[in-house]
Amino acid sequence: MISDSITNASASAAPSARDMGKKKRQTNRAAKLKQSKLGLRREQWLSQVAMINKGDKEETCPNRKTGNGKTVLPVENLEVQRGGEEEAHHHESFISNSPNSILNSIPDFSSGSSSGSGGSCSGNITEEEEEDAAADDDDNDDGCLDDWEAFADALAADEEKKHEKVNPPPEEHESVIKQSASLRDSSDVKPVRKQKSNQAWRADDKLRPQGLPNLGKQRSFPVMNMHFSSVAVPSSCPICYEDLDLTDSSFLPCPCGFRLCLFCHKTICDGDGRCPGCRKPYEKNTVKVETSVHPGGLTIRLARSSSMFCRS
Amino acid sequence: MIDISRVQKELQDCEKDRDSSGIRVCPKSDNLTRLTGTIPGPIGTPYEGGTFQIDITIPEGYPFEPPKMQFSTKVWHPNISSQSGAICLDVLKDQWSPALTLKTALVSVQALLSAPEPKDPQDAVVAEQYMKNYQVFVSTARYWTQTFAKNSSLEDKVKRLVEMGFGDAQVRSAIESSGGDENLALEKLCSG
Repeated sequence: MISDSITNASASAAPSARDMGKKKRQTNRAAKLKQSKLGLRREQWLSQVAMINKGDKEETCPNRKTGNGKTVLPVENLEVQRGGEEEAHHHESFISNSPNSILNSIPDFSSGSSSGSGGSCSGNITEEEEEDAAADDDDNDDGCLDDWEAFADALAADEEKKHEKVNPPPEEHESVIKQSASLRDSSDVKPVRKQKSNQAWRADDKLRPQGLPNLGKQRSFPVMNMHFSSVAVPSSCPICYEDLDLTDSSFLPCPCGFRLCLFCHKTICDGDGRCPGCRKPYEKNTVKVETSVHPGGLTIRLARSSSMFCRS
Repeated sequence: MIDISRVQKELQDCEKDRDSSGIRVCPKSDNLTRLTGTIPGPIGTPYEGGTFQIDITIPEGYPFEPPKMQFSTKVWHPNISSQSGAICLDVLKDQWSPALTLKTALVSVQALLSAPEPKDPQDAVVAEQYMKNYQVFVSTARYWTQTFAKNSSLEDKVKRLVEMGFGDAQVRSAIESSGGDENLALEKLCSG
């Protein structure tokens, strides 16, 4: 701790012009972000109270309002909300000079939660802080962002646990519907915000942003999803000119997007096995139906989390 | 077993925009295994103004195997045999894709006429001439187009042969017996 403050002091004792500029920028940003963070915390606290009070009402009310065509909007809002959240965390690393202050702030943020993931994550952060303070290099920003993303995830996990305590049976797709419905519920602002921010973390926790929009759409509006996928689907197989049935039209054997019926695909695979559209060989076991986008999203998520562990 | 329905649909599709593309595919036999394709010579090339006929044979595995195509009209081109009319074109060999059709293949052949590839020749003599003496190549190709790819009217053919010193009736019967082929008729007149 003491050595930390010493390195910090020595770093600031030898200020170059660049460092000064950076510092100033950081301070400005920090002030702005502090505001937003405080607002966010207050809202979260308020909405938590509101949530407990209104738990039952929220559970039953939005289900009546499903079925409108608003699919994209909630997802966008999710992302915006999440971005704001991340910035708030990011900024926190700047205003806290010693790791101690972060550690202080964590219990405050996720009060009364199990300290499992949150605790380990804060450990990572402390290390990161020390490294940054010692090195004082330009990678400072990126490092903090990555780590704070991880921190946000860990917090999300905590939040999820809490949410489940308050609301015992929240099913994933149900909550997505709820959240889209809550957008239109303008009577009470606070619970809506709570709902949204919570959902952002939850959905994010399950799936990384890339997979996120698809999941939301698919779960809440399967009919719409069918419509979207059928836009590019030809009515007949371009190889044998026979009409494509339902199975054929959801069959996408090549990433180039060339569609054909299962019979023709089989014939091609028995031969040279190259896609007629792009002439690249079909990969083995790529018989995938279009809805299976999730594995891709999952692998990306894994890659990110593994990189997080490598850093610490 | 050949996919008859696909070939039939291809013929219908080709017939639809025959006027805009200038490309025609006509069946030669009832079972649709042998067809005749017709392409106009590309404008701005020595083949301009000619109409080139291509013999098409549909193999058993079509459309998973490429159709066999060969010029029946004599052409002077580095990638087309001046003797047999065999075509050296990747989409008719290893680059064939079942998504291609007879029409798109014929379009590719037409494109080959306007963009010869002398480094991958089918006819070495023509390719050498193309590389070493381009002007001679152009005039030879144009002459071949004029001679073999122009379907001039019967009267023009008769007139030309009569000018060579043959009798009018003799010429007409020779042309008729050779199926309208002027050169074949000339051979008959000379031999007989």
